[in-house]
Amino acid sequence: MPANITPAELQDLNQFLQKSSDIFYWQCTTRTVQESKLFPVNPYIALSYYNAWYRYPEIFRKIEAVMSPEELGARAREVSMSANAIMLGIIQQFYLGGRQFLLDMGMINPTDGIEDVKYVLDFAQRVNRSYHRQSGYTLNSDMNNRAQLLPERTLQVFEADALGCKPGDKLHTAVVKFLATASQYAFLKNCECRLGIHNSGPYKVGDKEMLVRDFVDLAEGDYPWLDGVASEIEHNNITLPVIMKDTHFNIVDDWGSFEATPSYDHDNMVAVGLYTSDYLSNGYIPVHMENASDMADYLDHMRDQMQRVTAELWKRMAGWSREQMIDAGLLVYYSVPKDLAHIAGVYDTNDWMLVEERVQRMRPLFNDEYGNFAIAELVGYISLSSQQESPYTMSKWSGQSSDMWSKIPNSVLNDDNYTASVGPIRGGSSALPPKTGKYTTTRGKLTQDEANALARGFTSSTIAGNFVNYDDQWVKYNAGTPEADALYRATQENSFQLKGKGSTLRADDVAALRRW
Amino acid sequence: MSEPNILADKWGKPAMSEVLEFYHSSIRKLVAERFAASGKTWQEAVQDPALELTRADFEKIEADLLATGYRFTMSAQVSIEEEPEKYQPIAGVGNSGNQVSDENGRLVVGTGDNVFQATDLEGTARFVGTVEVVMDMLMNGVPEGTIAVIDDSGGTLTAPILEGFAGVVCMGGTIRSHLGILTREYDIPCLMAAELDGLADGDRIVVEYSKPATDAYAERDDSLRARIAKVS
Repeated sequence: MPANITPAELQDLNQFLQKSSDIFYWQCTTRTVQESKLFPVNPYIALSYYNAWYRYPEIFRKIEAVMSPEELGARAREVSMSANAIMLGIIQQFYLGGRQFLLDMGMINPTDGIEDVKYVLDFAQRVNRSYHRQSGYTLNSDMNNRAQLLPERTLQVFEADALGCKPGDKLHTAVVKFLATASQYAFLKNCECRLGIHNSGPYKVGDKEMLVRDFVDLAEGDYPWLDGVASEIEHNNITLPVIMKDTHFNIVDDWGSFEATPSYDHDNMVAVGLYTSDYLSNGYIPVHMENASDMADYLDHMRDQMQRVTAELWKRMAGWSREQMIDAGLLVYYSVPKDLAHIAGVYDTNDWMLVEERVQRMRPLFNDEYGNFAIAELVGYISLSSQQESPYTMSKWSGQSSDMWSKIPNSVLNDDNYTASVGPIRGGSSALPPKTGKYTTTRGKLTQDEANALARGFTSSTIAGNFVNYDDQWVKYNAGTPEADALYRATQENSFQLKGKGSTLRADDVAALRRW
Repeated sequence: MSEPNILADKWGKPAMSEVLEFYHSSIRKLVAERFAASGKTWQEAVQDPALELTRADFEKIEADLLATGYRFTMSAQVSIEEEPEKYQPIAGVGNSGNQVSDENGRLVVGTGDNVFQATDLEGTARFVGTVEVVMDMLMNGVPEGTIAVIDDSGGTLTAPILEGFAGVVCMGGTIRSHLGILTREYDIPCLMAAELDGLADGDRIVVEYSKPATDAYAERDDSLRARIAKVS
């Protein structure tokens, strides 16, 4: 019997797979190279791909049983958390990386696990489309590397409430120092990867541009290695909308990293805000934004905290075994979709912080050299045997006769030479101490069960009822109606300048009301 | 379908790296042998836990490669510390004896890509390449005027002490690497992708951080690379 997939579904699947293959090649070869003398980075990256291959299908079905990908994306786009452009956009890449390695080893054929592949890629595509509803795209790269994620109602609040600053003043100095320390801490807690740092934008603010800078998973929460050591960090996610003059952000890529012309220079920062948010908050909550001095003091306070936590966490990590280092990095990578489970209220640390036994068995292969070449050949050189195509082929970016991810053969529409699934998750273990601490949220420090119960009973006021379908296209023709005003007032609830102002403010009105 | 597809790959070719080709071809062979002996269809075999490769199988493949005398290159300190018998010894900074002098008569002991334009800086080169060195500087402070010579472009090894460096010379990565990003955020002058020849720990050096920032999109031009000159 042919596979349970229609020709149209197979086309959609293979097109998303090919698009993912092309853009991941561009990202991996142009944006950065990761290495560390502390962490065996490439061994953990490669192993994370296998964990994604074996575990995502079952866990995604568990999440979708209570919440659709469209609703997950809708909830994620109202706040800044680790369900963001980089984490969501990379789900299918890690999953397909596991598939490609196994194909190359001959452990599976390209017709194996195809209902799982179809499901995971469909899930990933749908959640990304919903998350990117504002731009109408699926990934930032679709928009020529631009991340227009937020609606007018949120951006108006960011613009109006931002506090002015200039080089040398207290707030400017505090922001610059905080960004450095937070970036440093984010790389360390995420075991050398950039997944804790996210940027969206640029958004036009008159003749200036706004970049929304997020730092996520900062506090005691999902990563067991932050238990205790990061207990003093008060906010798990921090967002700084930064308004810049004389700067054009020409690239905000799929990994949320940016480039600017002329080069980014802190001296061009003219206003900034500070917020926290998560899956339990009604949008963004201002943090010590009463005035510039208060915000500067709090940024310095957080910076002091992060410096202490960085030193203590580094000591903890420096004492880890190689297996523990690999597990931590592997789990940071593998768990990129984890906040979808938080949103749905079905988060289980055993789903996200364990390494499947079919992955554990492969550890003996992963010395540093094999790990480095496995990743370099898979995503950079595209030189694995399984990646080679007909010699007539020229791939999108490299022109080589090879592609990163192998498509599903159309033969599955003809015959029964396929398998549907990798089967159920088989156990899991980790060399790291298990999660024991609480989860830092905007509703306080919660147990896993408490956080899940709150999430299941919560819908942000900004997407409740019909609001979820009131996008900017609707607002364009409905501003001033009771529904539009109610939607905007829900977003303006915590605003210093716009509280209660409603939906009719135009750009000049916001400019007249802003604090800078 | 009678075997793993990869064995009948019309356009396949060996992997670039020796270790990857050895591992993957060994695994393919083992899978094919186990499958052929099973008498099952591929669809049955691929889902049969009893036919799956085990940790012992992978251990044997690694052992087979090591038995040829092959030794792996390391990237993380912990790897060579835990299993030194599997890795090649760490190579230090070489000294060709062929260094040229700059316009001030000082030996040029390296060049690198400048992350951002700052001013030239004189300081003491201190090699910061191990957990022990970082721990010592964390506990006792970073000596004033330290230009850290770091051999990886990551941001984690030096995380707790980076802010204390007067300058950084990194022997890996690119200006977009994590260390490049972080030094720019901290406003610490930094060269990436540095090539060193004759530089030793404790040398007094001047680094040409006044060179324009390297264009990440441009082809390499040696005349644009910042120089590291030995003062004493």
